[in-house]
Amino acid sequence: MALMNLVTAVNHTLDYEMGRDQRVVVFGEDVGVEGGVFRATVGLQKKYGPERCFDTPLAEGAIVGMAVGMAVNGLRPVAEIQFSGFMYPAYNQIISHVARMRNRTRGRLHLPLVIRMPHGGGIKALEHHSESLETILGHIPGLKIVVPSTPYDAKGLLLSAIRDDDPVIFLEPSKIYRAFRQEVPEGEYTIPIGKAKVAREGSAVTVVTWGAYVHETLKAAEQLAEEGIEAEVIDLRTISPIDRETVVESVKKTGRFVVVHEAMKTYGPGAELIALVNEKAFLYLEAPPTRLTGFDITIPLPRGEHHYFLDAGRIAAGIRKVVNF
Amino acid sequence: MLEFKFADIGEGIHEGVILRWLVEVGQEVKEGDSLFLVETDKVNAEIPSPAHGRIAAILAQEGETIHVGQVVVHIDTGDGSEAEGQATATTAVSEGEEDAGAVVGALESSSKVLAPSGEAQTRPAAEPQKGKVLATPVARKLARDLGVDITAVKGTGPQGRVMKEDIYRAAGERSQTPLALGSSAPEAPVVSQPAAAGSAAAQPAAVPPAEQQPAPVPMGSSDVRVPLTALGKTIARNMAQSKREIPHAAVMDDADVSELVAYRSQVKSMAEAQGVKLTYLPFIVKAVTLALREYPKLNASFDEAGQAVVLKGEYNIGIAVDTPDGLLVPVVKGADKLGIIPLAQRMNELIDAARARTVALEDLQQGTFTITNYGAVGVGSGIPVIRPPEAAILGIGAIRKQPVVREDDTIVIRHLMPLTVSFDHRFVDGATAGRFLAKVKEYLQNPTLLVLS
Amino acid sequence: MLTKRFDPLKGEMLQIMDAEGKIVAPELKPELSDEQVLKLYKVMLLTRAADTKALQLQRQGRMLTYAPNTGQEAAQVGSAAALRETDWLVPAFRELGAWLVKGVTLDHIYLYWYGNEWGSHFPEHVRMLPISIPIGSQLNHALGIAVASKLKGEDVVTVGYVGDGGTSIGDFSEALNFAGVFDAPVVFFVQNNQYAISVKRTIQTKAATLAQKAVAAGIPGIQVDGNDLFAVYAATKEAVDRARAGQGPTLIEAYTYRLGAHTTSDDPTKYREDDEVAVWHGRDPIKRTKLYLIAQGLWSEEQDKAQIAEYEAYALEVFRKVEEETGEPKVEDLFKYTYKEMPEHLVEQYEEYVQYLEGKVK
Repeated sequence: MALMNLVTAVNHTLDYEMGRDQRVVVFGEDVGVEGGVFRATVGLQKKYGPERCFDTPLAEGAIVGMAVGMAVNGLRPVAEIQFSGFMYPAYNQIISHVARMRNRTRGRLHLPLVIRMPHGGGIKALEHHSESLETILGHIPGLKIVVPSTPYDAKGLLLSAIRDDDPVIFLEPSKIYRAFRQEVPEGEYTIPIGKAKVAREGSAVTVVTWGAYVHETLKAAEQLAEEGIEAEVIDLRTISPIDRETVVESVKKTGRFVVVHEAMKTYGPGAELIALVNEKAFLYLEAPPTRLTGFDITIPLPRGEHHYFLDAGRIAAGIRKVVNF
Repeated sequence: MLEFKFADIGEGIHEGVILRWLVEVGQEVKEGDSLFLVETDKVNAEIPSPAHGRIAAILAQEGETIHVGQVVVHIDTGDGSEAEGQATATTAVSEGEEDAGAVVGALESSSKVLAPSGEAQTRPAAEPQKGKVLATPVARKLARDLGVDITAVKGTGPQGRVMKEDIYRAAGERSQTPLALGSSAPEAPVVSQPAAAGSAAAQPAAVPPAEQQPAPVPMGSSDVRVPLTALGKTIARNMAQSKREIPHAAVMDDADVSELVAYRSQVKSMAEAQGVKLTYLPFIVKAVTLALREYPKLNASFDEAGQAVVLKGEYNIGIAVDTPDGLLVPVVKGADKLGIIPLAQRMNELIDAARARTVALEDLQQGTFTITNYGAVGVGSGIPVIRPPEAAILGIGAIRKQPVVREDDTIVIRHLMPLTVSFDHRFVDGATAGRFLAKVKEYLQNPTLLVLS
Repeated sequence: MLTKRFDPLKGEMLQIMDAEGKIVAPELKPELSDEQVLKLYKVMLLTRAADTKALQLQRQGRMLTYAPNTGQEAAQVGSAAALRETDWLVPAFRELGAWLVKGVTLDHIYLYWYGNEWGSHFPEHVRMLPISIPIGSQLNHALGIAVASKLKGEDVVTVGYVGDGGTSIGDFSEALNFAGVFDAPVVFFVQNNQYAISVKRTIQTKAATLAQKAVAAGIPGIQVDGNDLFAVYAATKEAVDRARAGQGPTLIEAYTYRLGAHTTSDDPTKYREDDEVAVWHGRDPIKRTKLYLIAQGLWSEEQDKAQIAEYEAYALEVFRKVEEETGEPKVEDLFKYTYKEMPEHLVEQYEEYVQYLEGKVK
């Protein structure tokens, strides 16, 4: 057991699995010598050598394309895309090949690869460093998408991701890379992909969220508790496939539903969760299912970003409206 | 005096160690001159002065750990302001040896510790929720609009779903209950009177005061137990409340309505030409509103809490209606503003709606005075029960031909209508009630005056 | 033709003025008047002063992440100087000297790095695209502008900037390739500062030079000493003239060095040696140009000091205005530039948010 923050947990997990499984290789821009711009891969090249942990030239398409070939030929590649916004040049490879290889060959070939990237915003960075990719990735059949919100979950989910025989996109919320530590067992454990977690029990309203917003939402829930509103907060953890049962059972209990996410509103992941709730828990609803999201605008530069990202106060206000409907 | 705080230089640091001061107290510095060298977990950085001035005080020593936000040096910029005293260091603690990286942006870096996950321990599966009401959102809205507590409604839809009809039924029962008679049989004799209405209707969620558990009634072997309906329960409750809280007194008299009888048969064809059926009720209502104008205490509410009498500004006359499910009291709002035929029309509408159970909730509310006509079932006199929060109620008995002794001792046969006014004796005395009744009688005995007023 | 005389495949690099400010190839010295050279030198000084101040401000917590230009002033200023006002400049993100030559003032530049989009809203007469974060993607924009120019028959040339890291990404080869095919009037200017964050130039490609990537696209390429103001100017002028004459694109590799960090959040001591940095300090572009000017009797150390002080004060003044007046974004601005007209759903979001702000509703 050790106290780790999220990025250290990722580092430890990669070390752990590379030691256990020779087929795991780690690569990307600045991943080898520097150990990653967020230090997620620090020490790995030194320990496992440059064949298994190395720098690549600057080309996200080629990074992911190379991972495809490696996976076909028996390796378990863990590729890093340096920032969420740099996923776009790789999108063609992801949609056209990563997501489709198993179906195209009717199972003759499959791709047990992981693509890791920092995800989401609120870190006062330039354009393209704050993206939320759930919709454009979650929409593609054949991919699994995972977002941990704590160091403990990061290790458990990353191990599951690396060991999964399907391609997994592992989104690491950069805002909380170092915001706190948690006890992480240094031994063996995993968290299944596709299982959400009830972060806080409650009876008045179900609030589903993930990533950095889990912590803001829990703060909001504390505020609301002082007003007598007990919110049930669910950390979704897996964006695709969604843990439908946990979400629906909670809504049946509370009768109210709010989803909180960083991504823009229209066609965002919230729409998907609301559709789910309507389909499965319609008769239990006492208020319209609601989404608290970013605006339908390009995420602003740092001086304006605080208008875009929700804080606990705004989240609480949105939940309050649903409870008072 | 400029209090220079150690800033977050964008690498997600929370603290640093002062390696070396590059200035000393008393030294003149220019904006941009390096003040000190700080070591963070990432890099050693020279921190520049933000202003021209003289170093007035150095507040942290070489080798000391400083936190972001901590004032480390005072620079006298000559603008005369005083230092505000040392700002307290932020509580954030650095990562220690951890290397922040990042390249762009500013990451918060902290050693705050989250609670352990506890996921490994299995939780018992959540109890399936019992007692949840199944209902569509539109049904829930309807329940809210009608002031019905949906959890008390029995659902007749699939899987026990509460349907709209279930809610209408509950609303109808509930709105009737404050006004109903003791019996719920269709041809209910109207001996007992409409009970507390207005307030209960206006407060859908009115809860009866908590009572001690009454002693159970012994049952003989040939006795039959008939459970009260929801309606019945409400009636019982409201009757008891009215009689318990309002000291009732009554004045009674007979009105000679022979002229009115003749007048009505004369003019009712005019009303029928307009499609309106003309009964005695519109005349009575008009007489009542005219009399209430002169005796406003009969059109009032007693405010026990405020120890005042609230004289009502509106004349909303409730008409007790015998319907198959019990007594309903629709209210003619602003009855003082309507002429006889319009009054008749409005009342007919309300009475028909009440009988058809389609009367709207708002037409059952906000009455200020009630008229009940037990004469409709042939009974001569009665003592009606006041509907809180009203002050009085007028009971009307059957019009009968009676012998009357004139002044000159001759005896004539006249049509007499018995009238009873029950009134709240807390603030209405017999004289006032009597004068009110006399005024009503005056108008009823003189239809021309009534119609002209 | 410089590109013929200096063949990157043979390892031949163009240099006109050496590290001490001595002219080593006088016959290649470009035709610039003394006033022009002095003016360009001052822009280099302003570039460095603006950087110095920005870094200091960042360390004070007032400026956000900033990408310094230290060591690359000649590559930036010399290349942009070859452009007319009607020519287009397509930046990557580290060309402050070039932007200043092009006519973008420090107000805009500081406003951008301060974190406000108005910093990319240049005046009408300034033909420059905004900073491009997805590396190398801008080269295809430069290509497009050039192709359109050609189509319209305008006498306009476009210069597209990229770093050594950017030469690896697909957009780079695609842009060069297309430009060659279309004989587009575009110049691809690579600032090879030896590092893509921490990744050395030698890991970026097995090719000995970046300039020779032109060969695969069938276009001329040349490698120049990127810290030599005259070499940079001369090579760029020739390439721009070629393009203007309808002879198609050129690839220029300015061989320079990033004396500072990648950005203010980067620590280069983690991945490179101090010795190496010291060597390149010796090749400082500003130092050599100053020595040249002093030798010509056009400048002095005193004037230099005074000029630097003046520029630093100016930079500070510009920043103060940004910080106190123009820096804070207006909420409406965040919404209304998403489309030409705000669609109804966006109007609704904006208005709801404004109500929230005004009422500070819980």
